[in-house]
Amino acid sequence: MAATALKEQLNGLVNSMFAEGLLDEQFQQLQMLQDGSNPGFVAEVVTLFCEDSERILTELTKLMDQALVDYSKVDAYVHQLKGSSSSVGAQNVKLACIQFRQFCEENNKEGCVRALNVVKHEYYRLRSKFETMLQLESRIQAYENKQQN
Amino acid sequence: MAGAHQTPSAMMKPLAKLFKKLQTFIKCTENRTSILPQKKIIHGQPEEEEFNYQTTRCLSSYYSIFVARLAIMVMLAILIGMLTMLTWHFTKVYTMNSINSLAYGLRYELLQRPILRVWNILNSTVEITMAQVKLSEYVISHYEKPLSQEPAELHQMMRDVTWALFSSRTALDAITISYRNGFVQAFHRDHRSNTTFYIYCELVNSSVNQGKAHHGHIHKPRDRPASAIWYRERLDPVTGEKKGDRRQIPPDDLIKIAGLAEVQDGAASWRVAVSKFTDSPLLSAALPVRHPSGGSIVAAVGVTTALKSVGQLMKELVDFHSGYMYLTSLEGYVLATSTDAPLLRNTTGRKLMMATDFEDHIIRSGAEWLQRAYGNKFPINHEVHAENVLLGNQRYYIDSFFLNLTRLPLVGVIIIPRKYILGKVDQIGFTTLVILISASICFLAIGCVCILILTSGVSKAMKLRAELISQLDARRRAEASSNYKSQFLANMSHELRTPMAAVIGLLDILIYDDCLTNEQFATVTQIRKCSTALLRLLNNILDLSKVESGKLVLEEAEFDLGRELEGLVDMFSVQCINHNVETILDLSDDMPKVVRGDSARIVQIFTNLISNSIKFTSEGHIILRGWCDGSNHSSRPECSEAQKMSQCALRNRSKQHESIVKKEYQKNDKITLWFEVEDTGCGIDPSKWESVFESFEQADPSTTRMHGGTGLGLCIVRNLVNKMGGEINVVKKDGQGTLMQLSLLLGMPEDCTVNSFQTEFGKYSLKVLLALHGKQSRSIMSQWLREKGFFTWEASEWNGLTQILQQVFQENMQWSTSEPINLSRIRVVPRENSIHKMGGLDILIVVDISLLDQSTNIWKQQLIFLDQYRGKAKFAWMLSHDTSNAIKVELRRKGHFLMINKPLYKTKMTNILHAIVNEGNFENEKGSNQLNSSMDEDLHESHDLDSIHFDAISSDVSDISDMDNRDSKINTFYSEEEITERNPESHQPSYSNSQKISTQRVPLDKIIKKPNILLETENLINMSKDFTETDKHGGIIMDYSCRYGYNKDNKKNMISSITDNLQDIKPQAVVGNEDAFLKLNQPHDGGESVIEQEYQWNVKPTLYNKGDIKQKMIAKTSMASPGNTHAEGMEKQLSTERSVELAYRGSRLLENQDMHYSVHKNDCVALSSLVPDQNPLGGLCILLAEDNPILQRVATTMLEKKGAKVIAVGDGMQAVDAIKCMLCAEENKRQNSTHQDDVAEGLSELQKYTSFDLVLMDCQMPKLDGYEATKTIRNIEAGTGLHIPIVAVTAHAMSSDEAKCLEVGMDAYLTKPIDSKLMVSTILSLTKRDV
Repeated sequence: MAATALKEQLNGLVNSMFAEGLLDEQFQQLQMLQDGSNPGFVAEVVTLFCEDSERILTELTKLMDQALVDYSKVDAYVHQLKGSSSSVGAQNVKLACIQFRQFCEENNKEGCVRALNVVKHEYYRLRSKFETMLQLESRIQAYENKQQN
Repeated sequence: MAGAHQTPSAMMKPLAKLFKKLQTFIKCTENRTSILPQKKIIHGQPEEEEFNYQTTRCLSSYYSIFVARLAIMVMLAILIGMLTMLTWHFTKVYTMNSINSLAYGLRYELLQRPILRVWNILNSTVEITMAQVKLSEYVISHYEKPLSQEPAELHQMMRDVTWALFSSRTALDAITISYRNGFVQAFHRDHRSNTTFYIYCELVNSSVNQGKAHHGHIHKPRDRPASAIWYRERLDPVTGEKKGDRRQIPPDDLIKIAGLAEVQDGAASWRVAVSKFTDSPLLSAALPVRHPSGGSIVAAVGVTTALKSVGQLMKELVDFHSGYMYLTSLEGYVLATSTDAPLLRNTTGRKLMMATDFEDHIIRSGAEWLQRAYGNKFPINHEVHAENVLLGNQRYYIDSFFLNLTRLPLVGVIIIPRKYILGKVDQIGFTTLVILISASICFLAIGCVCILILTSGVSKAMKLRAELISQLDARRRAEASSNYKSQFLANMSHELRTPMAAVIGLLDILIYDDCLTNEQFATVTQIRKCSTALLRLLNNILDLSKVESGKLVLEEAEFDLGRELEGLVDMFSVQCINHNVETILDLSDDMPKVVRGDSARIVQIFTNLISNSIKFTSEGHIILRGWCDGSNHSSRPECSEAQKMSQCALRNRSKQHESIVKKEYQKNDKITLWFEVEDTGCGIDPSKWESVFESFEQADPSTTRMHGGTGLGLCIVRNLVNKMGGEINVVKKDGQGTLMQLSLLLGMPEDCTVNSFQTEFGKYSLKVLLALHGKQSRSIMSQWLREKGFFTWEASEWNGLTQILQQVFQENMQWSTSEPINLSRIRVVPRENSIHKMGGLDILIVVDISLLDQSTNIWKQQLIFLDQYRGKAKFAWMLSHDTSNAIKVELRRKGHFLMINKPLYKTKMTNILHAIVNEGNFENEKGSNQLNSSMDEDLHESHDLDSIHFDAISSDVSDISDMDNRDSKINTFYSEEEITERNPESHQPSYSNSQKISTQRVPLDKIIKKPNILLETENLINMSKDFTETDKHGGIIMDYSCRYGYNKDNKKNMISSITDNLQDIKPQAVVGNEDAFLKLNQPHDGGESVIEQEYQWNVKPTLYNKGDIKQKMIAKTSMASPGNTHAEGMEKQLSTERSVELAYRGSRLLENQDMHYSVHKNDCVALSSLVPDQNPLGGLCILLAEDNPILQRVATTMLEKKGAKVIAVGDGMQAVDAIKCMLCAEENKRQNSTHQDDVAEGLSELQKYTSFDLVLMDCQMPKLDGYEATKTIRNIEAGTGLHIPIVAVTAHAMSSDEAKCLEVGMDAYLTKPIDSKLMVSTILSLTKRDV
């Protein structure tokens, strides 16, 4: 009973994320890939994404703090972030990254800083949702395990 | 003055005009501003902005023009005004100056003269007085001595003397001598009556002797008035004789007698006196007469002169010069004037008047003015020169002069009216001024008009220029915006395609789902169709925008144009058959076989054009014509009939001058190819001929309802054609339909070869009976054949066919043997004749299967009917895709194995002819070779069977194992091959070998047929899996087993004849077979292959000609891995698609209209994936090079879900390393396997090492990016002859990226985020032959 409620909650959360535009159809594909053979797939990917993004964001912040910004590096990082976010389906992060890259191409430091903030904001927003989602999933997992036992 | 009157009115007119004009102008602008808002309201939103813009611009330009005009006019006015002023000023001032000085002189002179007169008068008076005095003194002194002498004598003497003096001066008024004693003598002249009087007095006390008494008392002073009697005598004025009596008069009555009292001081005295009788004042002078000795005064002499003469002089002067003059004394008493006004006042005796009191008002006012102006403070010399003094209503000059005489200072004043001196000058000046002003105003007016006219021209030009500028501006903006749009679309391609791919992919997933109800399934299928349509539309738009934004890069590769077009026509003909439309390909023979260009785009052009034609053609035909124009773009005749004729002529000519054409090709590496797409549809209105090529334009808007479409197709076509350096337009056509003509400029390969097979049939004197349903294709084909030297008949229906057949063969019967048909006999006849003779079988009958009545079973009878001619003629059957299998089987059974699919075009015809000729030759040769063979009949029969087999097997095997495919192909063309090119003895064993095998094949074939029929008649999906599987398993296993055995035999037999390279095939073949066995449990592949079998077996033989086979053999044998050449792969792909497509159509008749869906590769695979299959990639090993952990994970999962084995690496370096390892292993394996004696070892080697079937390569990776990695891998491969498929995975979706990927050696291209369906289909398409 609790498991179904949790599942509903999880579904609601995911749906709200779709509705808000935080996620796109790519995430659905990820969900579809998750089945009995690889149960924690989505969680795994999301965790990977979070770790990766965290790293990239730290790097980016470091780069942007320097007096002379190496835009090519920044661009490479942002491209990575864009790739990973698009494959997770983090739509907003991806869009922010596209914006960021534009500023990067213009060598517009102010814009870059602003875009970085936007990316961070979007990312943290998404991360908090993801965390909730992962928690829910782990709880569901725990319930199911219990039931099996 | 008249001129002066006219000029103002004349001046007014232009002024008024100008004013009017200005008014209208202002009104105009007002109107415009007032009208515009209304317009705005009417026209609404889109035009509003423009109007606003225009209005403000217009108004501002109007204002600026207006201001400019005004400024120019004002400047002109100022200029003209200044000129006028200057002219007037100079003329005026100079005249005035000169005239003024003259006038001054004149005035001075005028005044001087009376003054001089006065002066003269004075002088003369003084002279006379002096003379009188001197004479008196003399006379007195003379008469002094004799004092006693008669005073009368003295008086008489004095009288004479005085008379003499008096008479000599007529101007004198009077001379008086008054003696001391009171005696007075005087002469008086009355000027008025012109009488002269002598006046004297007689003293009363000496009344007796007047003279004496007088004398006696001459020196004695006496009280004169006391007692004296005055007399007056009238005298003759000339002689002085007494004329009248003396008359007594009262003393001092007439004249004033200067008395002694006046001359007391002895000096001359002057004064102005007034006489009673004259109106004018008199000038009187008095001098004493002194005694010569004593010096005492004895008498006083007085002379009076009237000043009237001065006045007269003045009058004369004034009469002549006009004006007024007067003389006054210093005190202001008037002495003389030029007027007749009385000078004296009569109030209290006659007195002089002051000038200010003068009666003449001019003089009075002049005097008053002087008084006012100067008062008593006259300048020292009393000289005043005043101009422009207003007296009364006129202006006058007033000049006064001062004559300072002792005792009698005089002031002369002259008042001359200004008019007199400057009247003319003023008048002329005024006239001049008026004329000048009027002239200048005229000039101004004309100038203004000129300015208006000129500036109106200028303003028009300016307006036009402003409009032009605004237009240019607008155009630039529009272009920029459209460019932005194109750029945007081009850039958006990724963003647009991704969601579409996702939608389609998700729908596929949904379709996979087993738990859908039928309705849901139908709906989802419908959605999927729609999505595909939408994707296609998107692709169209994106293509268009890509072309428009100039991002489309045409690739330059050699390709077989004819084959591409044939494929296209094949494809569309299937679609057309349902529409009762024939599709005809009519390429001229002089077209180059191979050209350089972008084949995909050219195919796209024709796909669009033909599909467009099909869309609008409900019945009739669609012809795709092509010809080569060489260097001259000669004009094409309009009429279609004439067209054909000219085309023929063109062909003939080009045939005749083939060598010349060839030279031309070699000279310039570009060639212009002309194409026409003609249909018999509804046609396009001539007015729309240009606009149909615009975006989103359709000839008739209503067509959208009927036929659908977006109107993008033709636009894309035109853009592509233009991009290829050609042109497309709609051409006038006779009859119904549309004729599109286009030219393409394509490159020529270095070694260009023009089709050169034409002449080789000439020697065979074949007769061809074309029994085809389609009228157009039949006529074109027969025409072409006739050109080639064949004799042709045409039949369009069954009855016609039978008639012709009967006719022809009745003749033939008589000509040939009348014996019953015996195949061997017939064959014998030509054997004995020449080699080239076809042995009676010189008639080819091409029969359209649709001529048979297929609805009932009549066709069987018809076949039987035809069968009687089989021996006499060769039959070629034209099948359509829906020809029922029963007919095919029946045909095959009857030995008609020469079958082709519709439509019939030249290449197919050529192949048929080849087959016929070769068969004929073969038979001839065989006949000659095996004259002593007793198995004649059997041999022939088995040969027939054999070829059926080969067809079936070739298609069957082609998908399962390439190795087998190759072998089967070798076998398929075995007979032809060996007969035509090799020495017969080397082929003989293999032939017999194949014979053996083929006999074994017969049951096999039947088993294979079974599922075919099932597939055709039943829905694919509903087909029972198990049934197919088992059935097919059995069939294929058997097939393989025997094939395996066959291969072995075959190899042994062929060692002597075929090169050693072929030896390598064997182990590979074994491996391939092994693999194939492993794969047999996959129903999908099996199913597919079975489907293909049906359709390929017809296509294959026609597609491959001898040359191809040879090529393939060499290529294959040199290749170690079971790879395939590209060309073959393409063909295979094509055939696979088509067959799957056809199967799909066969199974789902509902979806017939969506035929062209499956043109696209992915669609095709998506459709084929409808077959339930969980592990399409099973057994594949894929190397994934992806740096992004997330993508790596996702892709790995996706692939694993599809059953593939995935090895993921983090960057390009690792990928290259992995491939290196694999290649080493491969190399080892190859080396081992070349020993070929141990198959098992090869197999174990293969399993030991991981062999990648495919690489998924991310493009952007650290260390070594995808492009570099691919290059490296390709370099490594270079020596080995291996080719591992590499699929690029990139986030860039531009075609340039795709081009870049393909350039570095990648085989395919996927965009991120990865769509699993597309990925799977891509992987399958690349790896299928490797399985």
